[in-house]
This record gives sequence, structure tokens and C-alpha cells, in this order.
Amino acid sequence: MSLEEVSHRHDDSAKLTEANRIPAGAPILELKGLQKNYGYVQALKPATVTFLAGEIHAIVGENGAGKSTLIKLLTGVITRTAGEILWCGHPVALATPNEAIARGINAVHQEVVLCPHLTVAANLFLGDEVNQYGLMRKKEMERMAQAVLDDLGFGLPAHVLLSDLTIGQQQLVATARAAMRGTQFLIFDEPTAYLTRQESAQLFKLIRRLQGEGVTIVYISHRMEEVFELADRVSVLRDGTHVGTRTIGETNEAELIALMINRSIEQIYHKEEIPIGETIVDVRGLSGPGFENVSLSVKAGQIVGLYGLIGAGRSEFALGLYGREKTTGEIHWMGKKVDIKDERTAMELGIALAPESRRDQGLCLNLPIGLNINLPVFKRLSKGPVISHSEESQNADQQIRDLAIKTPSRRVLVSAMSGGNQQKVVIGKWLSHGARLFIFDEPTVGVDVGTKAEIYRLFAKLLKQGAGIILISSYLPEVYELADRLHVFRRGQLVASHDFHAATHEEVLGEAIGV
Amino acid sequence: MTVTPTEIAAPPARRKVNILFGLTLIGLLAFLWILLGFVTASFWTPLNISNLLRQGAMTAILALGQTFVIITAGIDLSVGAIVGFCTVILAWLLQAGVPVWASILITLLIGVGIGVFHGFGIVKMGLPPFIITLATLTSLRGIGLLITNGSTINIVNEPFTNFARADFLGVPSLFWMVILVAVPSYVFLHLSRWGRYLFAVGSNREAARLSGVRVNGIIYLAYILSATFAAFVGVLLASRIAIGNATQADGWELQAIASSVIGGTSLFGAVGSVHGPLIGAFILATINNGANLLNVNSFWQRIITGLLIIVIVYFDQLRRRRNP
Repeated sequence: MSLEEVSHRHDDSAKLTEANRIPAGAPILELKGLQKNYGYVQALKPATVTFLAGEIHAIVGENGAGKSTLIKLLTGVITRTAGEILWCGHPVALATPNEAIARGINAVHQEVVLCPHLTVAANLFLGDEVNQYGLMRKKEMERMAQAVLDDLGFGLPAHVLLSDLTIGQQQLVATARAAMRGTQFLIFDEPTAYLTRQESAQLFKLIRRLQGEGVTIVYISHRMEEVFELADRVSVLRDGTHVGTRTIGETNEAELIALMINRSIEQIYHKEEIPIGETIVDVRGLSGPGFENVSLSVKAGQIVGLYGLIGAGRSEFALGLYGREKTTGEIHWMGKKVDIKDERTAMELGIALAPESRRDQGLCLNLPIGLNINLPVFKRLSKGPVISHSEESQNADQQIRDLAIKTPSRRVLVSAMSGGNQQKVVIGKWLSHGARLFIFDEPTVGVDVGTKAEIYRLFAKLLKQGAGIILISSYLPEVYELADRLHVFRRGQLVASHDFHAATHEEVLGEAIGV
Repeated sequence: MTVTPTEIAAPPARRKVNILFGLTLIGLLAFLWILLGFVTASFWTPLNISNLLRQGAMTAILALGQTFVIITAGIDLSVGAIVGFCTVILAWLLQAGVPVWASILITLLIGVGIGVFHGFGIVKMGLPPFIITLATLTSLRGIGLLITNGSTINIVNEPFTNFARADFLGVPSLFWMVILVAVPSYVFLHLSRWGRYLFAVGSNREAARLSGVRVNGIIYLAYILSATFAAFVGVLLASRIAIGNATQADGWELQAIASSVIGGTSLFGAVGSVHGPLIGAFILATINNGANLLNVNSFWQRIITGLLIIVIVYFDQLRRRRNP
């Protein structure tokens, strides 16, 4: 059974037929002066954008530019303050997620929102189960799900639990799920953020196939090369304003970046000549859950890059070094052998870890920015048992200022901030701790060009202060351009090491994949 | 089916609801007191106010301990059982001729021990807080009944039993005990780093851990505080009723949870305060007191309490949704 057969299961009953009548290239969804205010904050200033049936329409913009607001408006998660939305030429409310879905508007989010404890098949059919006499036909659904997955060439089993898949594979399942719903209008919110190259390629194939089916695609991404590879047209948002829409053939990367950041294009990868100093940490044959026999060292003023596919053991190594997991092997800190038995020990030595997942490991989302920033250093901010209020607010405000975190106050909850600003909080909480070794695990995932440049400049600043950095990234250009020494991980092992620019992109990628 | 955007935007009825949002808990408490002052003759008598403060005091202390646990996104169902159990222990110790101060100290230490056990069950055995504290709830009542063989132990120590009835500066001693517990609690939760850690653990355990917070220690601490506060209430109750009986304080854990939630604590963790559960406890006490004065059937009191919990927490949710 192919994707098309499953996705057209309900065509006769749904309102979806309405959208099917729109010819390719004609407006399917029009936003007229669409606007959203949160109190006095204008998250989206009146925007007028037209989406054409069957196009791939990319949306780019810095964090906080209003992309998430726009998606939420289109998927009925929030209601607009003013303006009009025309769907197939008629004004629509899009007041609830159900209404959006009923009209054929769906979204695939950056973070997978599915049920990890159910099987892949159950997730694919969730809310739309195949029934007979009021009972679920589990076998039938599993068979159909497997057929669809095979048809898409994902090579994923339908009967395993979703939680047994990698994040990238889960993302593919989420996409297949949206595709199976007879979707007419599909929004992707940075879908490749956690995907390997191979998974991205599978996703792009699926997107093109959906486009061939007449589905309109909105594609949000920070990765310019993806935008130019996929999109027909691209709209740019800046500070809540829609600053323009371009046909992809008539624009280039430089113009888009200029529109996005409204300042001259700087060298994004900011690498300065910084003298290399003494060895800060020397890891010898470290093994732990997910990695084996890893040896590397980090010197003051040096960025050590760890590249590999997701699941190659880089983050696991970082957590092991940080004392989160039990390890065997030797760690020498400033020339002395140390036993890092827990996170506290690592912190007290002077190791800081900005972990991979902001949501799961990095932040207390429903607590204020200030508390998050101060969390590692409350001990220092306390006099006896009581926290000094002035030092507490001073430290938080200083990090907010230094990192240019966009917020009216340190009392704002982290959950109310955009992804890039959240990432700055994850980093900011370690800056006043006085660490010597900073481990940044995917620091620029879901972060826009402007914030990226700021984060890279911060690296240089830390290096100049005599710190060393371990930079983990799945985005090759990032580690390739920044790391003084680049280590490649594959299946839990360190398989190759290169000095700055000593190997080509192709060689490094080949080592990571294992060809 | 199609609705025009103007119909969706900002419903005008909102403004009126805002006034209700603004009504703080303390305002609600004051309102209840004024109202009862008008409709009953005996509410504003010194005797009744003293009674009210005594009634609310014990729930307030329990609710405070409970709040620490709920902030870590946990729950402590055992506090009512601990109260009953501790009246038995205390009465038993006094009967055996142990001095009052030592008896109280040992009782409190038993509270600490129960809290340690809860922490152990959660941290080391990986049991959900609901399960481990439910298990202690039923076992403690059983152990208490075994000790007394199902009967009660009378407490014949005059100075001890007089304490709960005594006043100091015109205020019932039991209410002084609330202040005695609340002030250090306030310092702990709102001014010390341990308080911040409680919130962090309740919000995101892994993030707290990676930030160097000793998460397991904080969980132990929360359950130890809750159980110790409950043991302290057990001492106060023993003084008030002058007996030790394991079936006392039946359902008080639910009163404590209700007070905490009325006071703005979120059962999802990471939201809560010290003053909230205290006011919550006295709101519940006022309702019971007022219902008694108005001769409302006690069955109705339970129904009213239930409805009130729904209404207050619902308004709190609305306020939060509006002001994220």
C-alpha cells in the first residue's frame, strides 16, 4: 500500500476536497495584515504573504523574528490579534488546531510531539485508527504502516516503540504521519535540526514527493543551503516584520542574510589567532555507556571539535567526562589525575557543560531566566544559608546584558523565550562560574545566523581568557571552520583526528559515515 | 462555520473576569471573615477566633511541609498517618515514663526517619512518590494500631496537655507554632539556595543535576521536612486531645494537599510559596468553622470544600494562562 492510498482514505468525507480544487500556482493560503500582539509586545506586525498551491515556500529569519508565531497562527494554536486569513479564497478563523487539521493544514515540529511509549504504527494512526466493530485492527494498521514506511524508503520497522528510534528517525515518522493525513498544506519547522545527512536526504525526497502530489510546503530553516536546494520561493521575517518574499532564482544567500539581519554580512565563522597554552585536560582511554577507549586532550586557547553522526557517542563522551555517567579510564586535569565521580566534582574542577537538549537537559523552562542563569552559582551568591539578593540580580542582569538576551526582565519565564535566546541562557549560566573547560554540545541547533555569530565571538572571548573548548556539532562547516583540532566519532569510537583544515569535508564526512 | 476574525479577537467579557482574578487569597479570607461577622453573632468572639486559629494551625503546618514536596513535583500522602502514628508514639513514650522533652525529640526523629525512608524509596528504589507514601500511609496506621492493640493510650501529663489549650499574648499557642514553623520555612524556601534547588528539581531534574545540584539530596530533604512537620503536628495533636490513637487525623493528608493547592502550589511542580498554603489552610478552617456556626450539615461542608477547591484552582489557572 502506498502513501497516496493511505492518505486519500478519508478524501470523500473531509473538507479537504476544497483545497484539491485549487490549481497549482494559484493562491491557496493568503495572509492579509495578519498580526499578533502579546500584551504590548508585537510578536508579528501586520504581515501580508501569499502561499501558492503546490509550492515549497521557505521562511527564514533570526530567532524571535516571528516565525514560531506565524506557525502557531496557521496551525490554530494561538488566535490572531488582527488581520485576515484566506484559505482557498474564503476567510477562515483557524481558531483551533482541530480546525486547521480539518482543513488540511498540518505542521511537523522541530521537537517531535508524538507518544514515545507507543509503536511506530500506533503513532502513525494515532487519532485515526482503523476500526472494525468498534475494535482496533492492530495487525491491519501495522501492515499498512509498514507498507507506507517501505514505500517511502525509510527502512524503519513499524512494530518497534517510537522511543527506540533516534530523534532523526522519529522526525521522519512525524513527517510520514502528517503526510498520511491527506494534508494539503504542510509546515516544517526546522525539520533537519537533529537529522543526519542521510535522514535529511530521505526527508527531502519525501518533501519533493508531497510537492508532486500537489501539497503546499512551508519550510522553515536556518540552513541556507537547504533553502536553496528545496524552495521555490522564500519569505524573510525580521523582528516580527515580513521584509520581503523572493523567488529563489532571483536571490542569493548574501541578499537573504542581509534582509534577515539588516547589517552587513560579517564573517560568520569568527576565528582569531589565539596562542595555545598549557594542557587543561588530558583524557586517556575513557570508556563509558555509548563510547569506548576515547583519548584526547584540550589545551588553553584551543577549540577541540567532535564531529560525527547523531548517536556516534560524542554527547555520551561529554556526559561521561562531566561525571554524569560512570566511566573507566584516566582523566588528568591540569597535569593531575582526577576522579570525576559526579557532576559536582566536574563543576568544582572547572568544567562547564552546555548540554545537547535545551528542553530536557539545559533549562528549567517554567522558572525565570534569572534562576536558570544563577543555578550553578547559588553557592557563591549566598552568604551563609541566605542568597544575597543584590548579587543574585546583578549576576543575572550582567549575563543578560553581555549576551544580549532579548527579555524585558530576568523574571520572565524561560518558556516564553525564543530558541536562540534560550540557548543564550544555557550558555550564560556557565559564564560566571569561572570554568576552564567549556563543553558546548550542539550550541547552535535551532539558532539563527545572527545569534550563531554572537556565540562564535563568545568562544573567542573565552579562549582569550585562557579557557579551552570542546565543541560538539553535527553541522560539519561549524566544527570544520572553528576547531583547532577535529576528532571524528563513529559508533562510540574516536576514529580519526585532524588539525585545522588538514582534511577535506569529504574525508571527514567519509570517516564519520564509515565508507 | 466560517467565523470572521473580528469575532474571534479579544472577547470584551474579559474585563469583568479580571476583577475576580485580582481577588487575592488573603482578600478571600478577609471577605469570608467579614461575611461571617455579619451573618453570625458568634463569629467575632474571642473564643471562636481562638478555636478557628487552633483548627487551622495543624493543617497549616502539614500543608507547609506538603508544599516542599509538591514543589519538587512529588506528593506525600502519608502525612495524616504520620500524625496519628506520632500521637501513639508520644503517648507510649510518656506512659513509659520518658521525660516530655525526650519524648517530643524522639517523635520528631521518627518523623525524620520516615522522611528518609520515603527519600530512599524514591531515589534508590525508583518508586513513584505516590506509591511509596501510600504504602507508608497504610502501614503506619497498622503499626500504630498494633502498638496499642487497637485501643487508645491516655496521656496523663498535665503540663503537656495544657499546652495546646494555652494562650500566649492572647493568641493560641498552636497558632504560635505555625509562626515558629513558617518563619524558618520562608527563609528556607524563598531566601536560601536550597529553596531555589527545590524549584529547579521540580522544574527539570536533569537540568538541575547538570547544573551541579545534588538532586537526590534535595528530594530527601523535601520528604524529610514533610514527614518531620507531620510528626510535629502529631505532637501538637497529642497535646490537644490528650490521647494517642493511630486512627486520628484521618484524611488530613488531603486537607494538606488541598490547602497547598488552594494556596497556589502547582501539582506539576516548581510553583509554590510559604504564605499560600498557610492562607489556604485558614480558608478551609474558616469554611468549616462558619458552616458549624451556621448549623450547616457537616456533610455539606465536605461538598462546599470540594467545590471551592475547583473554583479557586480554576481561577488560578485562568490567571496563569493569561499571564504566562
